[in-house]
Amino acid sequence: MDERLRETLSAMMDDEADELSVRRLLSHENQADVRDQWQRWQQVRDLMHENHGPSYGVDLAGAVREALDGQERPAPVAERARTVAVSYWRWPVAAMVVMALVVGFGAGAGWDAQPDEMTDVLASAGIDSRNPALLPSAVEEVALQRLDEQQLRQMRQYLLEHAQHNSVGAGRGSVGYARLVSASGGY
Amino acid sequence: MVRGLTLLALAYLLSVPGAYAQAPGEVGNAPQTEQAMAWLERLGPALNMTSYQGVFVYARGDQVHSMRIAHRFRDGRVEERLVMQDGGSGEIVRRGMNVVCVLPDQGRIRLDEVIPSGPFAEAFTSQLMPFGQWYLPELVGEDRVAGYDVVTVALTPKDEHRYSHRLWLEKSTGLLVKSHVRDVDGAVLEHFQFTSLEITDDIPDAEFEIQTRGREITRSLDIEAARQSPVGRMSGWTLNWQPEGFVPAAVPRSGKGKAVAFSDGLAAFSVFVEPVTGLKMPTGASRIGATTVYMRELSVADRPFLIAVVGEIPPGTARKVADAVSIDDEMARGWSARDH
Repeated sequence: MDERLRETLSAMMDDEADELSVRRLLSHENQADVRDQWQRWQQVRDLMHENHGPSYGVDLAGAVREALDGQERPAPVAERARTVAVSYWRWPVAAMVVMALVVGFGAGAGWDAQPDEMTDVLASAGIDSRNPALLPSAVEEVALQRLDEQQLRQMRQYLLEHAQHNSVGAGRGSVGYARLVSASGGY
Repeated sequence: MVRGLTLLALAYLLSVPGAYAQAPGEVGNAPQTEQAMAWLERLGPALNMTSYQGVFVYARGDQVHSMRIAHRFRDGRVEERLVMQDGGSGEIVRRGMNVVCVLPDQGRIRLDEVIPSGPFAEAFTSQLMPFGQWYLPELVGEDRVAGYDVVTVALTPKDEHRYSHRLWLEKSTGLLVKSHVRDVDGAVLEHFQFTSLEITDDIPDAEFEIQTRGREITRSLDIEAARQSPVGRMSGWTLNWQPEGFVPAAVPRSGKGKAVAFSDGLAAFSVFVEPVTGLKMPTGASRIGATTVYMRELSVADRPFLIAVVGEIPPGTARKVADAVSIDDEMARGWSARDH
């Protein structure tokens, strides 16, 4: 699966994908790949919420049925839609049905649940360039977004070398692998 | 060295159940701490000597990766195969000290940089570091992860220089199946977890065969070289302060060899000291999940140097470490002389 499709899937998790991208995803030749990727992202999201399975929130099958029946979406969803940016694309009925068939109802359950919270979790765990208040006042923040290509490469090199040391010093097995791949894949 | 041994002995005393008397019925955290230490002792051996297969997810900052792993311990030898589940089609296969890495034909994960000194270097670690001195280990509960019963061990730092850690260990083997790095407010900065797992000695040989086609790179871990130079050396510069308990860690020779790694047994940071060449780096801290990168410039004998501290430590700690680096005049002059 190419990077663009992955981005679409990721955007769909946050209910931010545009219609064209979703259609492209749905016409992707290898739907098994799409499904696997979707399920992995879903798992990640469950993990972030400390859930052990798709146990919370709105079930997709219900949402699709209601959309088909022309009924209103459940109230919590409608409320949330008002609180998030208006530009977010709402699922057209056809795309929802197809997507439901592709990923299966079980895997899709919960995709409408708490995307705002999810974004918050990622943001707070992430590069907090937008929230320097979280840093001790004595420490100046360097926003990775403002670094140029060469500087990013240097930063990535530091992360990578450190990850190599880290896997030795801390001896944490798979966590060591994960840090390495993360360091080599990102910055 | 003597100090290290003393600490190790202390940690051992702490970890042996009944090493100090506990009156029957006495309430308190001591038994929990003892139990937690006993679990942590199992962690290291379990990582290598358990046979298992599964998929794990790792998230820090805005990066998420998942990997499929098969790990087998047979006749005293570790066999291992990792397959990236997203962002590329690479895989890493290890048989004992032999590492084969198949690169994705495209994509962002450049595994050639990872091999050989990275993941498999854990073969060089032989003992548990006495991190009980700097963290309070506690058994905080039981849970289920990926279908297995686990115990949860919380490690709360005793000072403000470290993050807290939470480890989930499978009950029958001690295998690490989930971990968190958290800040002082309890926010999860780094998350590792198996999403599916099977602990079994019955993994077919085929699981350890390379299946991706692509450019192959084969390297052997040079264990002799690592033994000869077990600890990184600070040459030309001195670190005047580090949080108590962080000691120079054994590292395989990697990169340009200018970095020195420090570990307290749980967290680690690396210090890089390099003369500033063409590339100008900003000053300050960046964070990717639990990992802080702190950079500062220091001029000695009119020669600018970049000091970078990278590690799973809070930004304030990274800054203090970076500020504690002093560069010898001689090294500075040496570099200047080479330039002119």
